[in-house]
Amino acid sequence: MRRTVRAGLAGVAATLLIAGCSGQSLEGNDDASNGASGEQITLKVNFWGDMGLDALKAKYEKDHPNIKIALNSGEFNAQHEDLQKKLVAGSGAPDISAVDEGFIVQFRNQADKFVNLLDKGGADFQSKYLDWKWKASMSADGKQIGLGTDVGGLAMCYRSDLFEKAGLPKDRDAVSKLWTNWDDFIKVGQEYTKKTGKKFVDSGTNLFNPVLAQQPVGFYDEQENLQMDGGPKVAFDVSMKAIDAGISANLASFQPNWDQGFKKDQFAVLACPAWMLGHIQDTAPNQKGKWDIAAIPGGGGNWGGSWWTIPSQGKNIDAAADFVKWMVQPEQQIEVFKTVGNLPSQPALYKDPAVLDYKKEFMSNAPTGQIFAATAESLKPQYLGKKNGPTRVAVENVITRVQQGGLKSDAAWPEAVKQAEKVAKTAK
Amino acid sequence: MSLTDLRPAARHSAPPPPPGKTKHWLYRFDIKTIPYVFISPFFILFAIFGVFPLIFNGIVALRTWRLDDRSLDGWAGFANFERLLTDEDFWNALGNTFGIFILSTVPQLLAALIIANLLNRKLRATTFWRIGILLPYLTPVVASTLVFAIFFARDNGLANWFLSLVGFGQETPLDWRAQKWSAWIAIATMVNWKWIGYNALLYLSAMQSIPKDVYEAAAVDGASPWKQLWSITVPMIQPVVLFTVILSTIGGLQLFNEPMMFDENPQSASGGSDGQFQTIAQLIYKVGWKDLDLGYAASMSWALFLIILVVAGINFAATRRLGGGR
Repeated sequence: MRRTVRAGLAGVAATLLIAGCSGQSLEGNDDASNGASGEQITLKVNFWGDMGLDALKAKYEKDHPNIKIALNSGEFNAQHEDLQKKLVAGSGAPDISAVDEGFIVQFRNQADKFVNLLDKGGADFQSKYLDWKWKASMSADGKQIGLGTDVGGLAMCYRSDLFEKAGLPKDRDAVSKLWTNWDDFIKVGQEYTKKTGKKFVDSGTNLFNPVLAQQPVGFYDEQENLQMDGGPKVAFDVSMKAIDAGISANLASFQPNWDQGFKKDQFAVLACPAWMLGHIQDTAPNQKGKWDIAAIPGGGGNWGGSWWTIPSQGKNIDAAADFVKWMVQPEQQIEVFKTVGNLPSQPALYKDPAVLDYKKEFMSNAPTGQIFAATAESLKPQYLGKKNGPTRVAVENVITRVQQGGLKSDAAWPEAVKQAEKVAKTAK
Repeated sequence: MSLTDLRPAARHSAPPPPPGKTKHWLYRFDIKTIPYVFISPFFILFAIFGVFPLIFNGIVALRTWRLDDRSLDGWAGFANFERLLTDEDFWNALGNTFGIFILSTVPQLLAALIIANLLNRKLRATTFWRIGILLPYLTPVVASTLVFAIFFARDNGLANWFLSLVGFGQETPLDWRAQKWSAWIAIATMVNWKWIGYNALLYLSAMQSIPKDVYEAAAVDGASPWKQLWSITVPMIQPVVLFTVILSTIGGLQLFNEPMMFDENPQSASGGSDGQFQTIAQLIYKVGWKDLDLGYAASMSWALFLIILVVAGINFAATRRLGGGR
């Protein structure tokens, strides 16, 4: 008995030792980030890729000598997952975090973990944003967790050199006229495949997603009921038709095989938002001038785009809110568009000469500002349900199974409904 | 015990002057308590990073904890575990995990044994070979898995190129990720490649402690090298074999990195389009961080923990028997 007591005491002693050490280091941290006015404040900003912040950081720090901006760019998925884990843990999140469209539903359902920007003067911005962009980051009980940075818009990138070889028009206006709807698009694809023996689109899922985005109702209605027979059915049929027509190269996006596909001319068109241009340029730098941009069949669309959010666990939420509000001002948004090409989400800026006159050299000097702005403006806003992400993955997987030959296309729709219902059931 | 026994003996031989009370206390503290202080860091760290998460996980497993809908949070009793029994995703993942586990562990340990046996002979440049087989173990798993993912690509993959050399799949190349059997083989290959050398070195070090005269006697009696391997070497290195079997069981049943990075769409963590190679660890990750259902994910983790305990126990018993059951 006495021995156990002693062992216990020893444990306590050692714990105190360890606690003593960590306590000290924590204090050190506090000193560095304690944000009384006039003292140094460091704002940590998490995002991915290049959001054009380097120049903004320098400018802001110059005007606000007591504020230091720490930029932390990471991998796309890792940043979102890291944010989620830190929100659960209750500490460790950055002062400001970018959140992408694919994750905004997940985070707006945890609005209590974020600063409600309506309390920080964010309401003034509502009229400036695209309506659907503003609503997408708003929680069910009316809290605004983010201010929009960019939107993707959606157009159809195509290889003008491969089109020419296949006897198709090369000019972007003529190409846009080839496909006003998706049936025409598939017919053009069949013609291309017949002439060249090569596939036309990269994958069935990359048709499913843009077509779904054009429908008035997506997977879920505003009462969170699964609506597979509406928009999803239309989009699914287009992708099945394309697979059956033999025009899909069946490559999964952003994977090594897909990147190889660029270089080996395995597909000639690609549904592309504004930020995709950078990816094409990085993946196939020697295809400069061989790509061009036409309108997407069926009109508008959007893919991706982000918001700036402020986790409420931060110590400097007021300073963070000030910086976010500054970043979404027109002047800064134009600056970002010029440096990295991210399209602003405030329609007034689409009339700005900097956006209107911009031409992308790599894409055969296509006026990308005009093209993407038009698709973002004509988008029909769609409600994204709580389970939108997992449901999309489940249906995409069914499409992939058809492409892999494990499932016949005429048996695929009931399977897609079954898989989607399985995901939806766990939501209740 | 021995420490406490020493003290009275020392007193008898040279009785010290009666110590002051503080000194006496310090002396007792030094003898009786200090050893526990010295070994306590391990137990404290283990308590923080081992026992606490285990218990915490067990509590979470009995709750509903949904990040996407906080209003549902609350005690769930054993509902999560009941749901587990009828969840076809879980059984599918369990089947995959065991399939890949058998395809990786059995060939891996056999190959390691044979390689160790070869390395135990007189070779030129022994150190070179011994370091060489350890190299895969030193390669970061993410790097090697990425290379393997390209190796097993459908179009332009090296594996399919080899197959086409022997006249297979020239018309339609094999899509390694599409079927269970091919995906399992691909993933088991990655695991085998990484761990064979590590296990071989463990076996080798054990083999070198076997006295040479045992083999000489066996050779005189006319035992073939193969017979020597199974009748002398394996029984004599049995503790190490036990160790490797248990370690590979734990590692194999927790397999995560390889299937995750082999997937064409790692974001979904679905282990292929139809869950062809989704392991339990991957399913736990998906349920917890993609479906945002932490309570259910925790109950899966506990189920996996119990499964590993049972399988490791069975393997332990079986391996002891293999060595002649001393």
